[in-house]
Amino acid sequence: MSSATEPIVGRVSSQRAINLLRNNPIFVAIALLVIITSLVEPKFLTAANFDNILRQFGTLIFAALGMTFVIMAGFLDLSIGGIISLVAVVTVTLIDKVGQGPAILIGISVGLLCGLINSALIITSGALSQAESLFITFGMSLVYGAVALMYVQGVTQFLTYSTTDISIFNAINSGGIGFLSVSAVLFLACLAVLYVIERRTYLGRAVVLTGGNKVAARLAGIPITRTIVFIYAVSGVMSAIGAVVLVSRVTLADPTMGTPYTTQAILAVVVGGTALAGGRGSVLWTVVGTLLLILLNNCLNLLGVSSYIQFVLRGVILILAIWLDRVKQDSVSK
Amino acid sequence: MVVTSAPQALLSINDVSKAFPGVRALDQVSLEVFGGVVHGIVGENGAGKSTLMKILSGVYEKDSGEIVFEGHVIDKITPFESMKLGLAIIYQELNLVNTMTVGENIFLGRFSELGGRAGVHSKARTLLQSIGSKVDTYKLVSELSVSDKQMVEIAKALSFDSKLIIMDEPSSSLTADEIQELIQIIHDLKSKGIAIIYITHKLDEIFGFCDVVTVMRDGHVIATRDVHDITRNEMISMMVGRTIENEYPPRPEAVGETILEIKGMNTKKLRDIKLTLRKGEILGLVGLVGSGRTELVRALFGADKVARKSVFLDGKPITVKSPIDAINFSMAMVPEDRKLQGLLLGFSVEQNISLAVLARLTKRGFIDAKEEGAVSDRQIKALNIKTPSGRTKIRTLSGGNQQKAILGRWLEMNPRVLILDEPTKGIDVGAKYEIYLLMKKIVEGGGSIILISSELPEVLHMSNRVNTINDGRINGEFDPSIASADEIMAKAFEFA
Amino acid sequence: MNSRVVRASKSALSVQKAFLAIVVVVIAMALFNVNPGTKSEFFTELNFVDLLKSSSIFLILAMGETFVLIGGGVDLSIGGMMALSGVVVIMLINAGVPIPVAIALCLLLGLAVGATNAFISVYQRTEPFIITLGMGVVLTGIGEQLTNAHPVSTGDLNFQNIANLQVLGPVPVLVVVMLAVVGVVYWILRSTSFGRNVYAVGGDYEVAKYSGINVLRTKAATYLICGVTAALAGVMLASQLSSASSIAGDPVPLFVVCAVVVGGTSVAGGIGGAIKSTIGLVLLGILTNAFNMLRIDSLVSYLPTALLGVIIVSILWLDSYGRKRRRESV
Repeated sequence: MSSATEPIVGRVSSQRAINLLRNNPIFVAIALLVIITSLVEPKFLTAANFDNILRQFGTLIFAALGMTFVIMAGFLDLSIGGIISLVAVVTVTLIDKVGQGPAILIGISVGLLCGLINSALIITSGALSQAESLFITFGMSLVYGAVALMYVQGVTQFLTYSTTDISIFNAINSGGIGFLSVSAVLFLACLAVLYVIERRTYLGRAVVLTGGNKVAARLAGIPITRTIVFIYAVSGVMSAIGAVVLVSRVTLADPTMGTPYTTQAILAVVVGGTALAGGRGSVLWTVVGTLLLILLNNCLNLLGVSSYIQFVLRGVILILAIWLDRVKQDSVSK
Repeated sequence: MVVTSAPQALLSINDVSKAFPGVRALDQVSLEVFGGVVHGIVGENGAGKSTLMKILSGVYEKDSGEIVFEGHVIDKITPFESMKLGLAIIYQELNLVNTMTVGENIFLGRFSELGGRAGVHSKARTLLQSIGSKVDTYKLVSELSVSDKQMVEIAKALSFDSKLIIMDEPSSSLTADEIQELIQIIHDLKSKGIAIIYITHKLDEIFGFCDVVTVMRDGHVIATRDVHDITRNEMISMMVGRTIENEYPPRPEAVGETILEIKGMNTKKLRDIKLTLRKGEILGLVGLVGSGRTELVRALFGADKVARKSVFLDGKPITVKSPIDAINFSMAMVPEDRKLQGLLLGFSVEQNISLAVLARLTKRGFIDAKEEGAVSDRQIKALNIKTPSGRTKIRTLSGGNQQKAILGRWLEMNPRVLILDEPTKGIDVGAKYEIYLLMKKIVEGGGSIILISSELPEVLHMSNRVNTINDGRINGEFDPSIASADEIMAKAFEFA
Repeated sequence: MNSRVVRASKSALSVQKAFLAIVVVVIAMALFNVNPGTKSEFFTELNFVDLLKSSSIFLILAMGETFVLIGGGVDLSIGGMMALSGVVVIMLINAGVPIPVAIALCLLLGLAVGATNAFISVYQRTEPFIITLGMGVVLTGIGEQLTNAHPVSTGDLNFQNIANLQVLGPVPVLVVVMLAVVGVVYWILRSTSFGRNVYAVGGDYEVAKYSGINVLRTKAATYLICGVTAALAGVMLASQLSSASSIAGDPVPLFVVCAVVVGGTSVAGGIGGAIKSTIGLVLLGILTNAFNMLRIDSLVSYLPTALLGVIIVSILWLDSYGRKRRRESV
């Protein structure tokens, strides 16, 4: 892609379209995936399946959106799995005590708090490199997860057992505004906000500058500390929103439900084209990356591939994606 | 050293040249080094000394020319091979693993050849004793003083049975006593027939214990003479004098009162810095690499942590703890290494230029994109930056234009104090003149500049006043229109 | 004073902190025993042997991880590797493969995984944290696929004896194997060229390179070793429990890394050692054991896990902070 800050939408001449495709093998991959799957399994192209695909744009996309800024700034947040678990159990257990609205708000605040704790730890420890922030957030994942377990003593909390009104959750799961589901609207709203922040605001610019060259950015007056707080706060909040969506979907809160999302989110961001080292990227690309992952999931399911093999494949794709990212990095810097 | 018939030179460097993008580091350099001789090499920053040494030790590859060592032609070797051939180099930034012991460092990578731990440490002890060092081989390198670390490096060189040892500015971090020890060791090595190339700025050392001296300047060898056949003044003249290729605009005239004053600044390197800067003046900071020039301006700008700092702006004390504070006080700094510290390579020219004033371009959190474009266009025009558009990736611009863009970044701020650290490094003559004119315009507009440059003529011609800095301390103040280059350089070269 | 002694006692001092912590925990447990309300089975022979046995598995893992960390890398696939290896060895044995062959195959698997990790992380210069993390996911997934997410077990007594046969009083073979591994690693790190080279590469990559050390091969070898020890740990665990499950659990690699860091290795590389890692692991092991033994009121029964997490993060944080202080020393 030409630039992280040049709009993708716009007058797309055929030349630009060709360039777009050439520079972004991901579109080719998606096209291929669609073609191959529809040949093998005609059910792929049904409306029901499309609906299925859209529905899956759930928790993962929120987590991945939050992760995008962190990676763009040259850091990583490996704690989102723990945050999702924690927010889920907190929210569900509080419904009966304070009502669903306040419970959701408190849940999101918990996500924000976790993000702030993450950023505080990273800033105070003077973690310079991505590697150091890795370890700390990975450790925090353990902490948040353990707190989640502690909070509910390991017992899964069922939404349906709630005695008070849980209409919001129901709405998120099955309601609709026009032809879009509520969660889709939520997703689009978050995407819009984040995209605007990324492209047009000072903080958004600071994020990508920090990832580009932290030293130069700092010497030019960019507030690195504030940027770090921002990215982890966003990640925490987005994970929390994702947790609420997840809870609505499966109507329960399990204290370990967030675990698989960490690597998935990183995968979605990197596959989408955002460089792992930072300095280049966009939330829009992450959407494309997530789409690819969901499509892949969908195809594999339709083709009857066992869920374990899928698990393996995700790991393999993660490795490949990071590897290719490194190769791309090397060729760019020459 | 008594030479009857002409002996074979241990090392022959013939017409070696090396160029980096935009800079001719070495131009047809030739010299000979003989065994048992202490051969000093002097020159200003950028004269080509370290480039030459790095070629000898295998870190760089020469572009052309021939190097013959002990009768063998040397071409394309690795540092390790060079050590094995008997050519050792001791860098200023010592090449030791801090987390390992002395003994292991001396025999790094050769552990098994010496029969394990016991063997390594006993041989290491022997080597250290042979140069009179009592350092315990079981100590961790991180626990040693700089002087002891150098001993370890020398022992390491000896462990390879070196015939030629190059020492790059070894005395810069040593006390007077430690330097005496080093000199003793050098005499010992010399008596064993080992040749020593001794790179230094300290002219007294050349006259103190070198036999031969080579003066370099701008990538050329100016002269190689027996130490007895040259005077101090001759040496300085050779180092400094040059044909003036650059043109300079006349010096700024209207200099006002003091706006900035450093009453005291201390860091690991800097010692009790006192400095004043007046309105509308260009203050040149002259010193050798490692004297603390960059540390000084970085400390001032808030880029580094300092132990003690007392700075006054317009007579009022100010606290600058980070670059953000400095910018708020209308200070700007163009850093020394534009690639690592200045450029955001993956971004456009426009985004690089708008960087320092981004806050100003932000209204209620949103960046005014149109205003950003205007800022960028303004600077591109004013500085004559050659680029297809503001949205081009800055990576594609030439070095000179990149530097101009960084300058534009800071000029947009209209800073009261502008720090320029090597502003014209790697830039062609034409672009340089443009930058000089810009500097003049800035000070005429009421701004002040602190100028650091390794190109002495540049500093001397552009500055109203020059401070020399030596070993972390400001040790002299000159008016360049009166004082001679030699005088100023002599102060900068002073044996601290 | 002989610097050797000084240095030995200095490094003992930093390890002494871990030692001290161990002593504190033991004393605390003894005090708890006084009060019947908090009396626990901490000081029983059974518990001690149990502790030894579970520590042994982790110690074997820690030895391989120590290599990788000293060399400046990290390997987070050890959890998945251990799980997969356990599963594979049991499935092979159940299929009639002779025990020695089955074990050898597993170790080879470990070698292969280590080689893959080495290839991508070292030779392709990608970030080993994520690569090995992904690899761990892959291995766990393969394990799940092979077992359909059910634990597998075997009744083969010979196999069970490998870990469980009691040789020194109540101490089983497993512990002996562990001691052997620790001993071998200790020797390699201290007395072999390769071992010293690992320290050099982790301590200062450039200097090591310029000294003629084949840095790539050295780093790659650390990953190979780690893969093999993880496979060995899996085999031992399977033998100990006579069953294996594909879910190794995410905390395993992190736990091991932290134990090694506690003992005195840094995630930045260049320092560490077999003994140090052992002490670190013993400390964390005792802590965990003590927490479990105390069987605190069910209201906060997951508190230990959370506390452990906090301790782990603190250790990592201190590691980074220490480096920051040294960097900024004015």
